[in-house]
Amino acid sequence: MNSCAEQVVRTEAPLVRVRQVSKTFRGGVRALDPVDLDIERGEFLTLIGPSGCGKSTLLRLIAGLVTPSGGRVDVAAGASRRAFVFQTPTLMPWASVADNVRLPLDLEGTTAPEARERVAAALARVGLQEFSRAYPRELSGGMQMRVSIARALITDPALLLMDEPFAALDEITRARLDRDLLGLWTGTPLTVVFVTHSISEAVLLSNRVVVMSARPGRLLDAIRVDEPYPRERGFALSERHARLCAQLGGLLEAASGAGPDE
Amino acid sequence: MNERAYPRWLRLAAPGLVGLATLLAWHLIVTLGQVPVYLVPAPLVVLGALASDWALLGASLLVTLKITLLALGLALVLGVLVAFLFVQSRLIELSLFPYVVLVQVTPIVAIAPLIIIWVKDPTAALVICATIVALFPIVSNTIVGLRSVDPGLVDLFRLHHASRWQVLLRLRIPSCLPYFFAGLRVSSGLALIGAVVAEFVAGTGGTGSGLAYQILMSGLQLNIPRLFAALLLIAATGVVLFLGASLLARLALGRWHESEMRNEYEPR
Repeated sequence: MNSCAEQVVRTEAPLVRVRQVSKTFRGGVRALDPVDLDIERGEFLTLIGPSGCGKSTLLRLIAGLVTPSGGRVDVAAGASRRAFVFQTPTLMPWASVADNVRLPLDLEGTTAPEARERVAAALARVGLQEFSRAYPRELSGGMQMRVSIARALITDPALLLMDEPFAALDEITRARLDRDLLGLWTGTPLTVVFVTHSISEAVLLSNRVVVMSARPGRLLDAIRVDEPYPRERGFALSERHARLCAQLGGLLEAASGAGPDE
Repeated sequence: MNERAYPRWLRLAAPGLVGLATLLAWHLIVTLGQVPVYLVPAPLVVLGALASDWALLGASLLVTLKITLLALGLALVLGVLVAFLFVQSRLIELSLFPYVVLVQVTPIVAIAPLIIIWVKDPTAALVICATIVALFPIVSNTIVGLRSVDPGLVDLFRLHHASRWQVLLRLRIPSCLPYFFAGLRVSSGLALIGAVVAEFVAGTGGTGSGLAYQILMSGLQLNIPRLFAALLLIAATGVVLFLGASLLARLALGRWHESEMRNEYEPR
């Protein structure tokens, strides 16, 4: 696993340095064995692994939502702005789309005129400018997830953490959101850590895919996806894509066998 | 839902027709069967009593209404305060909740005489009785509501360093509203029941002017039409209170909560 990180020509220190971080939950469930991981600035990193392998836990540790049982997570200065996109849209049902998106600004005390402008810009970026006054339950699942992404991006985060954000969506909506997410990310300094259990989604989106073992989670291996951005539509159907998926599939199979049986 | 959506006029007309048919049947049975008026008065006789005794009954209605509304308001304030206190810590809830249940399960008829003896002012005594009856649904529903917050949203608020105050105002209270209003709807009816029961217990020793007192006196005097008229007023009050609570809930939740959402496929 470390070999991969060392190949990167480092011009800057990593954005996030995870050192010997482990997590044991109350009741003694070992979710994560000590893990080392460097997240480089501007990369699109995907964590993949069998279900229950602690990838969500690792993501929540990086977000600061969970405190590690051991080790430490160092976040570079200037990267304190972190945003999180959950598995479900996690919107406030009583608030309009615009009010949901502006929540992070409200909590930080941004002035109203500035907030309004930024909400409009954020909604335009996800293509929902016409729905600012709608309520979440009036939107489809895919649109709700777009609102969630707009809310995450509104604070201009340095680090965007996404926990299987499109897992509950249908295949077509998911493909569209994958493409739109890449569009939003390409050419920006944003660093993304993405959790999924879809092999093809991982290869399609990421620079680097890290494979985790079954519980207790460990980082087993990593592959690089040296495909330039913006990625062509044909990439998903290309032979390179298929080869990488097969390679990743092999690693995942090994990973599922590496842990104790459920 | 696989039930057919009926047009609006039919949904109003159907219960209306049932009501009319019942009244007609009542009228026919009483007049054709020559049932004496001191057993069952005909509907028109009841209406007549309502009109002729309106000065008396209207004043009683106001008294009962005043007690009910005071009790409901008090239950609302107390209930919300108690709920907020309880959700502060599990220890507080653990140590006090059994006593709230104890007060709730003890029949008000059994406690009312004591309260009427202890509290000198009869109105205050009745209000206390009705409050005890109306309190529990608001307390228990508000507690559940304050605890039923989407854990993802709690994480989101934490991630953005929200203060305790922001979490309360922007997350816990809005999440709680549907539960609170469900409790309020139940409590609005219970406050009326509490007021009437307490008045019955107080009897002639109480304020001596509420609707329950009129029922009691009409019964003793065998003035059955007036008894029915008073009963009608109590039932109507209950319906109005329930509708009022429902209207408040609709105003507060109409746009976002499932319970108040109009069926989109329903013809307008």
